[in-house]
Amino acid sequence: MQALRTIDLSIAEGEFVSIVGPSGCGKSTLLYVVGGFLDAQGRVLVDGSAIEGPGTDRGVVFQEYALFPWLSVRNNILYGLERGSLPPAERSAIAERLIGLIGLEGFEDRYPRELSGGMKQRVAIARTLACDPAILLLDEPFGALDAQTREVMQDELNRIWLATRKTVLMVTHDVAEAVYLSSRICVMSARPGQIVKEFRIDLDRTIPREQLVTSDAFNRARNEVWISVRQQALAAEKSSHAPA
Amino acid sequence: MRQPDRFSLLWSPLGRILPLVLFGLVWQAVSILGLVDPSFLPSPARVGYAIYDLLTGREIRDNLFITLMRAAIGLALGSLAGIWLGAMIARSQRFRAYAAPIVAGTYSLPKSALIPLFILWFGIGTVTTVCAVFLACLLPMVVNTAHGVSSTPRVLIWGAEAFGTSPKAMLWHVFLPHALPDIFAGLRVALGFSFVLAISSEMIASTNGIGKLIFMYGENGAYDYMFAAIACIVVVAFLADRLLLTLTVEGLRWHESAERQGVA
Amino acid sequence: MENMPGKRGLQIRSLISVLTIIVLWEAAARAHLASPLFLPAFTTVLSEWWSTVADGSLPFDLALSLLRAAIGLVLATAIGIPLGIAMARNRFLHWLFDPVIALAFPSPKIAFLPIFILWFGIYSVSKVLLVAFACVFPILIGTFTAASSVNRVFIWSAASLGTSSVGLLFRIVLPAAWPRIFASLRVALPVSLITTFTAEMVSGGGGMGATLMYSQRFFESPTVFAYILTMLGAGLLLDGAMLKIQQAFPAWLPGH
Repeated sequence: MQALRTIDLSIAEGEFVSIVGPSGCGKSTLLYVVGGFLDAQGRVLVDGSAIEGPGTDRGVVFQEYALFPWLSVRNNILYGLERGSLPPAERSAIAERLIGLIGLEGFEDRYPRELSGGMKQRVAIARTLACDPAILLLDEPFGALDAQTREVMQDELNRIWLATRKTVLMVTHDVAEAVYLSSRICVMSARPGQIVKEFRIDLDRTIPREQLVTSDAFNRARNEVWISVRQQALAAEKSSHAPA
Repeated sequence: MRQPDRFSLLWSPLGRILPLVLFGLVWQAVSILGLVDPSFLPSPARVGYAIYDLLTGREIRDNLFITLMRAAIGLALGSLAGIWLGAMIARSQRFRAYAAPIVAGTYSLPKSALIPLFILWFGIGTVTTVCAVFLACLLPMVVNTAHGVSSTPRVLIWGAEAFGTSPKAMLWHVFLPHALPDIFAGLRVALGFSFVLAISSEMIASTNGIGKLIFMYGENGAYDYMFAAIACIVVVAFLADRLLLTLTVEGLRWHESAERQGVA
Repeated sequence: MENMPGKRGLQIRSLISVLTIIVLWEAAARAHLASPLFLPAFTTVLSEWWSTVADGSLPFDLALSLLRAAIGLVLATAIGIPLGIAMARNRFLHWLFDPVIALAFPSPKIAFLPIFILWFGIYSVSKVLLVAFACVFPILIGTFTAASSVNRVFIWSAASLGTSSVGLLFRIVLPAAWPRIFASLRVALPVSLITTFTAEMVSGGGGMGATLMYSQRFFESPTVFAYILTMLGAGLLLDGAMLKIQQAFPAWLPGH
């Protein structure tokens, strides 16, 4: 069965776009197509030219298990850099800076198995950032974490995004998370998925989380998006029970 | 299982050897009491003396060395070939389709049955032994490597691709490291096989090696030396296995299972 | 990973592989790429095989070898399973036998053949006992591991429902441990065959291995090939049978 219907999506530089929708609607599939891992009819253009498969211009952070278990934290982060042309001293400097950015000083020589879920995702993010991609693709990056860790990581991601202003395309099932982080949210219908609604989110993200999450603007946006996603989920339920 | 405190001493390193000492004492008692014909079961003292004599002499060292060399060469070649084959089978569907039945077929064939064939082709000696060991070590390495490579999670592969890893480099950077636990498990099996096939081949037809030596002692009626030589090979095989386990624990420091102790 | 061909496809490819090998073999032999001593034609091997079947020598040898392997395997099972369970339940027994097992497990059991010959002669008894010796370890270890890892909860539930000690053994521990125990039996099967054939090759006394060596000594290549192929076939059939048994059995056992 088809995973996706026709998708026409444009993302401007510096935007933080989230894709939400009912389970199985194909949002991860869309991300993988943009990442160059899956083929699809049609084209994915970055800065006007078509992509030819995965590449360091589009950094990807998966939900879990993507760190190389046999490499230390530092070596994981250095992995992408090794394919580049930078001299070793510079590569080390970048790695050190990123380790500081994610707050894992002292853990450079640990193996992933020694890290908690949140720490592992931090390393995954750092590893992706090491190659300085223009675009970040995040596939439910915090889905495997517990609620508290998730909030901490969202703040981390927000902080990093505010500092680097990268273009981000994130897939998440957590509507509140999408509203908290994104400048634009696309709602997908159930499989075969297509984008049925878009929301522009205009929140001041420099204020503390407690203030932001309890504000009227945030809750209004969250309710609107949630209702839209719920409509899609209910429609999916109904059609799955409909006679063939 | 928690143990009551008074028994914990039994499981200390010294305590674990105790049963062997007990068996040794029983053996010695049986010999002293003359319950068995001493030519059928030399006393531990006589065997002990024979071991000492052997170790200080050249015979066992030379022959043991030959046997271990043959086993090691066959093991190394068989493992390398097996890893390569296993990786190929896991990565190429076409290769797997044609190679798999051959691999499955060799599983059911006792490799030692090929020794007479090798003798026919290569005569008595090292080539035959190494061939037999090679073939025996091949299968466990192929099966385990294939399993390790084919179970590599998709996100690991994609992650590496996203960082620009070339298809050739994928093997070294992703597939083989991921398969390392399975490869080590296969090596342990292959190590055992290498000893069995080396000794079998030497016993069946060879002019030297520990297998031949054991048989020679038997035929000449030097039973205490025969027991001694067997004891030597048992200890060597045990130590080789322990060495591999130590290497495994070291090489797999990064693996999730590293928290638990090495497998007994 | 990629699409697996269906079962039919797999069987067809297996057949193609095997047929290709046979055809290449025959062609190479006919073209005299190697002397008939080294590589007798497949057809020659086949006819030799048939004649040994017809005159009864092959079936006799095969039956003898299989019988030795079977008895040895049964002995190993009769000792290994009860001892494994006993060791799992009794710490003293575990302590007593653990170093012996740890020492013996990695060692090449064939090295002990001369001892068995010394004690029991060169005919069947020594071979059967060597097979038992070689097979008891995987069965013992497998049973011990399986029995000692039976979920506590099963045992406690049964005990609180008033099951006796013996009842616990037969109604909880054995059924729960059975799949792993059976797996260790399946591992022991090829060990029994290998040990039998090797022991026969080394010390004679009849059986497939002995005849195989005999043929080799007299450079009867077709017989060598024929016997090897028979061993291969026997191994395949027996393992297939074990697989069938495994699939037929435990549908009603817990843990499946």
